[in-house]
Amino acid sequence: MEIRLGSVLLAALLLSGCGWFHRGDKGPAPVPVDEPPPDPTIIDPQVTRRKVDTPHIKSKDFEVGVYFGALSIEDFGTNPIYGASLAYHVSEDFFLQGNLARSKGGQSSLEEVFPDVSVVSSSGRRFTYYDLDVGYNVLPGEVFFGRGRAYNSALYVTVGIGDVKFADQDTFALNFGVGGRLLITDWLAAHLDVRDHVFESDLFGVTKNAHNIEATLGLSVFY
Amino acid sequence: MTVVSITTIHSSRPRSELKRMPRLLALVLVLQAWLFGVAQAAPTELELVVTQPYLEMHTGPGRGYPVFYVVGRGEAVVVLYSRTDWYRVRAPRGEEGWVRRDELMQTETVSGAPAPIPPYPDFASHRWELGAGYGVYNRENLVTAYADFGLTGSLDIEVALQQAFGTIDNRLIGTIGIRNTVLPESKWFSPTIGIGTGYQRLTSIAPPAPLEASNQLAYASLGARGFITRRFMWRFDWRTYVVFNDLNKTEELEEWKFGLAVFF
Repeated sequence: MEIRLGSVLLAALLLSGCGWFHRGDKGPAPVPVDEPPPDPTIIDPQVTRRKVDTPHIKSKDFEVGVYFGALSIEDFGTNPIYGASLAYHVSEDFFLQGNLARSKGGQSSLEEVFPDVSVVSSSGRRFTYYDLDVGYNVLPGEVFFGRGRAYNSALYVTVGIGDVKFADQDTFALNFGVGGRLLITDWLAAHLDVRDHVFESDLFGVTKNAHNIEATLGLSVFY
Repeated sequence: MTVVSITTIHSSRPRSELKRMPRLLALVLVLQAWLFGVAQAAPTELELVVTQPYLEMHTGPGRGYPVFYVVGRGEAVVVLYSRTDWYRVRAPRGEEGWVRRDELMQTETVSGAPAPIPPYPDFASHRWELGAGYGVYNRENLVTAYADFGLTGSLDIEVALQQAFGTIDNRLIGTIGIRNTVLPESKWFSPTIGIGTGYQRLTSIAPPAPLEASNQLAYASLGARGFITRRFMWRFDWRTYVVFNDLNKTEELEEWKFGLAVFF
């Protein structure tokens, strides 16, 4: 009996040892099984898999729009501005945006006091800018009209760089903006934007940062 | 003579109409073929069956928008379109709302296959890249926009359009080059090296006027790129330019820039 117990223990030890050496292996050890020879009567069906076209899900991450409003050109009064924008929504928080707009400066106060003085030529009064911005949706939410209507909305901030062409001169400009987006439908949005275009100007002899603030209303379409 | 002229007038009318006929016919045929093609190509709506206990529909494509409807297990929704990480779906009873991508991925097609929600583009092997950024060119402010097309996993063609704003001149620079990503499999940081050529156009804003209005350029670049999130990435590039001119003195310029890009 003792001998049998001892041999069982020895066998168990040996087996556990084998287990130790085989612990790196994955899956059970292959059991050699003699495979029966393939039956010649079974026909292997050569069926080609039918290609199933799954419908493509359209993504509507782009937003194209137009806007119209007022631009205050430093020293040259407030004037109408119109422009177009294209945005790509990267995530629910971030978007990239490009804007292109045009306005025309009025008379500076110096020119109004001294009508013979002309600081900028007539063609140079055209104010054109483009900018490339990054936007962040700060406060997404809903706007309620009465009891039964709710529209999705978002308040966003933008920062960007670009070019302002004024007084026949291209100037590097920074811009900072705050805007609101109201989704009238899921593809049509109304915008209200306030943006400041800052650039260095020396039109009056002294180099200074010119702040040009615009307030615009716009419509955009998601596609 | 008059008779002849009348006959020519009369005969010319139907002939011109006859001439127009095949064009009209062709137009109609093309239109029909197009419409037929559109009708054929128009994919059927994608129906997905909810396999989880429920699927939440939000009022807007954002994490904060409230859940207004819940689709139960076994019910099917029709996927209409997507915006960023959200999908607009229609529930069996006609309600439309937004479902988060992660949740929609847990649904199945009617035949039991996994939901065909396209994966995010793989950063290591993406093909297209569109970006813009800020830089300094010859100690002047620079605005840059670029498009990049991947030829292989590590080699790509870059086309850049840049505007530099100087104190005596402004420059419009267009370049095309080839760039090698040294460690394309490295996600967060990989060095890049490149060469290219291009043109610059100078516009004088203060005297003295530039001696040449445009020049050809060549450049060598060192840079880095990295992944930010989803389709978003960053790039840094330092370039040294050689400007070819007829002034017996080769101009050498330096540029660095930092940009954000979207890849597809």
